Amino acid sequence: MIAPSDANRSGVARFRTKLVVAMMLVVSAITALALYFTQRNMAGAFEQELQREFQGELAALQNVQELRHAALVERCRALVRKPRIHAALEDNAPDLLYPSAQDELSDLMIEGERPNEQPAYTLHAEFYRFLDRNGAVISPPPGIEVGSLRPEEEAQLALPTVPDRQQLGYLVRRRTPNGETLSEVIAMPISSSETGEIIAAIVLGFRPANFAIASENSSIKRGLWLKGRLLLDSLAHADETSLASEVTRAIGSDKVPASGFGRAIWSAPHLLFHKQLNPGSLFPPAYEVCVYPLTELHERQRQLRWKVLSAGALLLLGGLTASHFLAGTLSRPVEKLAVDSAENLAQRERAEAALESTNVELQRAARFSADASHQLKTPVTVLRAGLEELLARENLTPDECHEISALIHQTYRLSSLIEDLLLLSRLDAGRLKIEFGAVNLTHLIEAALDDLGAQPDAFVLAVETDFPPALHVAGEKRYISVILQNLLENARKYNRPGGRIRVTTREDAGVVFLNISNTGRPISEVAREHIFERFHRGAIGENVPGYGLGLNLARELARLHQGELRLLRSDEEWTEFEASFRAAAVSSEVAS
Amino acid sequence: MILRFAPLLIFVLLPGANAIRAETVIEGRVTLPKTHSAPVVNKRYEIITKGGVVSTNPPLAVVYLEGSFPKPATPPTAELPQKNLAFVPSLLPVRVGTIVSFPNLDDTYHNIFSYSAPKRFDLGRYRSDERPIPSEVFDVPGLVTLRCEIHEHMRGVILVLDTPFFVVTDAAGNYRLSGLPSGHYVLKAWLSSKTTLEQPVDLAADSLLHADFP
Repeated sequence: MIAPSDANRSGVARFRTKLVVAMMLVVSAITALALYFTQRNMAGAFEQELQREFQGELAALQNVQELRHAALVERCRALVRKPRIHAALEDNAPDLLYPSAQDELSDLMIEGERPNEQPAYTLHAEFYRFLDRNGAVISPPPGIEVGSLRPEEEAQLALPTVPDRQQLGYLVRRRTPNGETLSEVIAMPISSSETGEIIAAIVLGFRPANFAIASENSSIKRGLWLKGRLLLDSLAHADETSLASEVTRAIGSDKVPASGFGRAIWSAPHLLFHKQLNPGSLFPPAYEVCVYPLTELHERQRQLRWKVLSAGALLLLGGLTASHFLAGTLSRPVEKLAVDSAENLAQRERAEAALESTNVELQRAARFSADASHQLKTPVTVLRAGLEELLARENLTPDECHEISALIHQTYRLSSLIEDLLLLSRLDAGRLKIEFGAVNLTHLIEAALDDLGAQPDAFVLAVETDFPPALHVAGEKRYISVILQNLLENARKYNRPGGRIRVTTREDAGVVFLNISNTGRPISEVAREHIFERFHRGAIGENVPGYGLGLNLARELARLHQGELRLLRSDEEWTEFEASFRAAAVSSEVAS
Repeated sequence: MILRFAPLLIFVLLPGANAIRAETVIEGRVTLPKTHSAPVVNKRYEIITKGGVVSTNPPLAVVYLEGSFPKPATPPTAELPQKNLAFVPSLLPVRVGTIVSFPNLDDTYHNIFSYSAPKRFDLGRYRSDERPIPSEVFDVPGLVTLRCEIHEHMRGVILVLDTPFFVVTDAAGNYRLSGLPSGHYVLKAWLSSKTTLEQPVDLAADSLLHADFP
């Protein structure tokens, strides 16, 4: 058998370990969740921030473009009102078109280089060309300043048809042997002022309004995607090509004008935004492309990760400390409980063992008592028979007769005692089963009183009765008779000479109470506690025959009848016992 | 330019009347196109260009006899004044070599110019008191569109023809050409820069010919 203290100690240790592990798991889960959500939120916020920046810059760009377009629209409206332009276009004089327009557009053209001019806001064109009513470029005559373009560049200005509204496009121009520049191209229709029909278009080339002045963060790359080519300022050519193919893929698979997607350039992830600058234009679609490096995001995320992790570690540490204290506080009562329960268990086991042995002994004693009682009855009967035969002889003297009668009386007492013992032993062994039936208590009382009157007694006793002619209780007649006889016997035996016996019954709520009182010396306070114990006899009974079994037997039997037997009072006037039985509801003819 | 050869419709000879008049005349009617139902932006235009085709509004035709005629000794003259910010008339047929003067009858400046191939000129700005009255010689046959650099809506057409015999129809399309020489000619009806109808005519002396254009 394990010592209870050892078992308890290991149990408490296990409990503490479980508590700590649970605490750690909770803290770890919280930390992981916090890490996950903050990282995700940060990535989302960063992306939104970039998106906003991109959209904001695009909006700024569009504002510049709108400003320029508004100015150009006004200019073109004025231009198409010019009779010379109309004359050149309508009177089949294309050779006079550019000379006529030269004067009109002279202030629009850049006169030489203006290095101090902000290119993003310039309204000065680099070149212009007219398109005829079919959208083809009307070639300018030599000697007119319209801005030089290579033939292949000029060819790119042609449109499939003359536009009915202004069109935005972009043109890649080769300036130096290796360098390329970009021109923003705006085509404006020229309509007849008499019929409103579109008779031609003018195409003006500008320096593009780009993000160059807004872009101070050198890590952000901006560029223009045009016809499968990407024009970025600061990317190596190979990167441009790969990025361009990526943009082509994105634009080809995604019709939404602006969208972000990530990819890696220079072995670092970047976020890429693009938006078409000229939706619905007759010119080839051009996309503004922004490449944002995600290194900053990753740096921020890493810092945050460290913060969250250290916070988690602190939390874990705090949790461990707290759990230590908590485990101590919690385990103390548990420990006590464990000790107590172990002790209780041991006690119970001991008690059960004792009970078991007691029960066995009791069974044995009861069996012995039953056997003994049974074995005793036969010789007593034989003895009585012999004595009665002796008494029947005629040659006996009166003294001898009296002696033999006394002996016979003693055999009756003996057999009565044996009966009681037999009954008690059956009770103790639990073998006594009551066969419940309706018993007429009144008859029993009357019979018992008759027997009482037949007793040879020195006392002359007055008997008072108060019971109805028929009163039925539930039980077995012979046992109830035993109870009644024992109680009346006691009332007679412990009475005083010339005393009284009173027998009354009453019924209350299905219970029948039988009260039997007698006069005589009261039972002392000390004796009252023991009068129902077996083989107990009160101090007053030294001269009274009996063995101290009667009350015990009566109470056991009363209880067996689901009733009770109590001492109600014992004073100088009365000593009163009360037996209770279950009332039996029967019709009068069933009464026995 | 598409030429439509209209079938010769009717040759009616009226000998009695010819004897009285003692001159050769062609009369007839040109079926004019329906009045443009297309919305005209500015009703002030009397010469309109639509789809590159110049015509008058309301439609008018110029009927002329094409042939080889002797040149005049002195160049003919014509006058195309500007009045109320318009050319009066808006359609002026002239013979090749005619000196056309452009008097300004308005109180404002005008600047008449033309980019048309038969005659390119620019008179510059002038007022009504400009002397001599600005004029130009039109010595190449063809259509000359006149514009004013100041008043964009002003349009005029000078139809330079290599014949002295021409007339502008009335609004209903009726015309009458008189004083014609006898012989075999081609009678033409100019409707627009795109459309000129024609039919051959045999003109007898002192005869009246009726020729309609469908």
